[in-house]
Amino acid sequence: MADLFALLVQSGNSLGAHSAALATAGNNIANANTPGYTRQTVELVANPASGVTGPLAVGRGVSIGVITQARDAFVERQVPQTLAAGGRSQAESDALQAMSALDPALPGGLSSTVSQFYTSLRTLSQNPGDVGLRQNVLSTSANLAQSFNQTAATIEDTRNGIDSKIQGDLNVINSTARNLADLNGRIQQTSAAGGDVNDLLDARRTAADTLARLTGSTPYTNEAGDTLMALPGGLALVTGNSASQLSALPDATNGSHLRLLVTKADGSGPSALPTAFMGGEVGGLLDARDGALKTAANAVDGLAFDLGTSLNTLHAAGYAMDGTTGRALFTLPTTSAGAASQIAVNPIVAADPKLLAAATTLPAASGDNRNILAMIATEAQTLAGGNDPVATLQKITGDFGTSSATATATAAHDSAMVTHLTDLRNSSAGVSIDEEMINLTKAQTAYQAVSKVITTANSMLMTLMSIGTTTG
Amino acid sequence: MRVTNALIYEGAQAQVAAARDRAFQAQQKVTDGVRVVHPGDDPAAASMMVTHQMAIDRLATIDKTVSSASDELQTADGALQSVSTLLARARDLSVQLGNDTYSASERANGAAEIRGISAQIVQVMNTQIGGRYIFGGNVDRTPPFDVSGNYQGDTATRQVEVAPGLLQNSSVRADQIIKGVGGGVDILGNLGAIANALASNDGATARGALDTLQSGVDQVAAGLAQTGTLMDGMANAQSVSAAATDAVKKALSAESEVDIFDASSQLAAAQQGLEATLTVTAKSFQYSLLDFLK
Repeated sequence: MADLFALLVQSGNSLGAHSAALATAGNNIANANTPGYTRQTVELVANPASGVTGPLAVGRGVSIGVITQARDAFVERQVPQTLAAGGRSQAESDALQAMSALDPALPGGLSSTVSQFYTSLRTLSQNPGDVGLRQNVLSTSANLAQSFNQTAATIEDTRNGIDSKIQGDLNVINSTARNLADLNGRIQQTSAAGGDVNDLLDARRTAADTLARLTGSTPYTNEAGDTLMALPGGLALVTGNSASQLSALPDATNGSHLRLLVTKADGSGPSALPTAFMGGEVGGLLDARDGALKTAANAVDGLAFDLGTSLNTLHAAGYAMDGTTGRALFTLPTTSAGAASQIAVNPIVAADPKLLAAATTLPAASGDNRNILAMIATEAQTLAGGNDPVATLQKITGDFGTSSATATATAAHDSAMVTHLTDLRNSSAGVSIDEEMINLTKAQTAYQAVSKVITTANSMLMTLMSIGTTTG
Repeated sequence: MRVTNALIYEGAQAQVAAARDRAFQAQQKVTDGVRVVHPGDDPAAASMMVTHQMAIDRLATIDKTVSSASDELQTADGALQSVSTLLARARDLSVQLGNDTYSASERANGAAEIRGISAQIVQVMNTQIGGRYIFGGNVDRTPPFDVSGNYQGDTATRQVEVAPGLLQNSSVRADQIIKGVGGGVDILGNLGAIANALASNDGATARGALDTLQSGVDQVAAGLAQTGTLMDGMANAQSVSAAATDAVKKALSAESEVDIFDASSQLAAAQQGLEATLTVTAKSFQYSLLDFLK
């Protein structure tokens, strides 16, 4: 038989359950725009009858079972690797897009100054004794050298800029990894103590996503429920309660650009982190810095060295207006490394246009243009690098352009994948205000109904109380 | 699919941003008219732009140098024509005065005139254009002939590039044409000998030198034929290079410039797309249960 007092108590508990449902809906609404927030649902559980079985058993109201988070495990597993791929291709694409030294129509760019150099030689060939035209050749030679210097400098600046970005990313990676390890510990403690870990779980997932995007690492869950992060190649970034730390030092074998080091969670290191062990945004930056940009820098150095050497050989074999010989037109380093940044016009020749070696035989007649013609011919002659200067410039531009275009196309594709998966995740885990408004109304109505039950039970109790008392 | 707030608003952000980007890019193309700025925009076109721009510069410069060489050859041609005329006069005089019916004083006058003709030939052969003496081979800063008619230049034939990698002669050998180097006749020497003979009233010697004089006339005619041929070559080279330049310019334009009609219609489409995106986005924000629950 239903006990009215028990009914009151149970209804009070039921009120609590419905206000918890209301509070949950309210929490969801408040966090509708919180990044990384996963909506929470209250599971209401009917309290079974106690102590009485059979057809007269009546349940004892409702209570809260558990407040769960709406996570789609399948989508969740795919998100980190998609973020990693997207971070990598976007970083490479942005870095390559930003480098404009190889733009084909760039005023003062390499192809323009090489062209002007040969133009000045051709004009001189028609009147080699004219000092003004000789001076013009020296000016275009200086412009050519300067253009090589600037192109090399711009590529180097871009690579240095990437190093700064990497350093910034490493700082974020290190603090996020420590944070993730810390969250693992707190989640364990809090759930052992029976507390609510939903917000901590959200924070941990956001940290894991950040690390995936920046480093290409993959999250794993161990038996204890901790989230571990493993870099590509398997090196642990976060193991349970501790995190490895990444650092960088200049690498003398790579033009003093940064190479990565890892200090492992157990304290050993710092030891070298191979490039293959890094993905995500940092991996993409390294791809750009040591891939397309390095190739372009080396090719520009190669062109400066080969063309300069080829012209120097001809110039040194020719005769200046005063009959002297044996001078180089350009000063170059001994190998192609750094040739583009160091190439300059031989200062002795630069100071006196008459020392430009236009003649091929003695006496060096003022109208002897044969060495100039030989120098002009280098425009179509194969250099040590395997192509003539024009084809080399074409190749440098084309190769860089192809790398950039490929990175951009890959980034666009990866970005679409990221959007797709993020949409799926938002769809299952996100808050819909319409839905929460309905939940709110549902909880409110139930609350009102239970209150009505209380009022009714109370009035029934009052009726009971007033039996046996007379008024008047 | 369950549509959440995050989906609606983040989706709206992304879509509006994408629509704005497309409209912006289309606008840039129409205002700049440039199709390829960064090599990544179109790698194949970018690499061809490098080649074509250099080819245009190369052909333009070759055109100028060929034009300048052509002027030199024309001047040379004109000079040799004058020499030809002068020699004709010298020949007439020599033939005439070789006849013993003429007196010593008439012959002496003839000698003076012939010496004058010789001096004029030297003057003509010392002609300059653009600050260069054109008949001295590679010696172009000092006169090729001295007052005595001795050749001071060298034996070089100048060359100029008429097409990329292709050289052509741009001068003729005055030492051969006038001084007979290499098996010909020394015209100036010959005139001097005739003048001397006439001055000494030596008709026989004067008559004996007439064959040599005729050879000299033929020598100059051969020189004129040379300059004529070289000038034709230059003219041909110029018309070939003009056609080549046009072709390359067209190719460069196709690679680097935007088709203005195409770009304008793409801009219109992008702007329409932006308008549609903004309208739909605004409308999608209007619908919320909050507005209907009272």
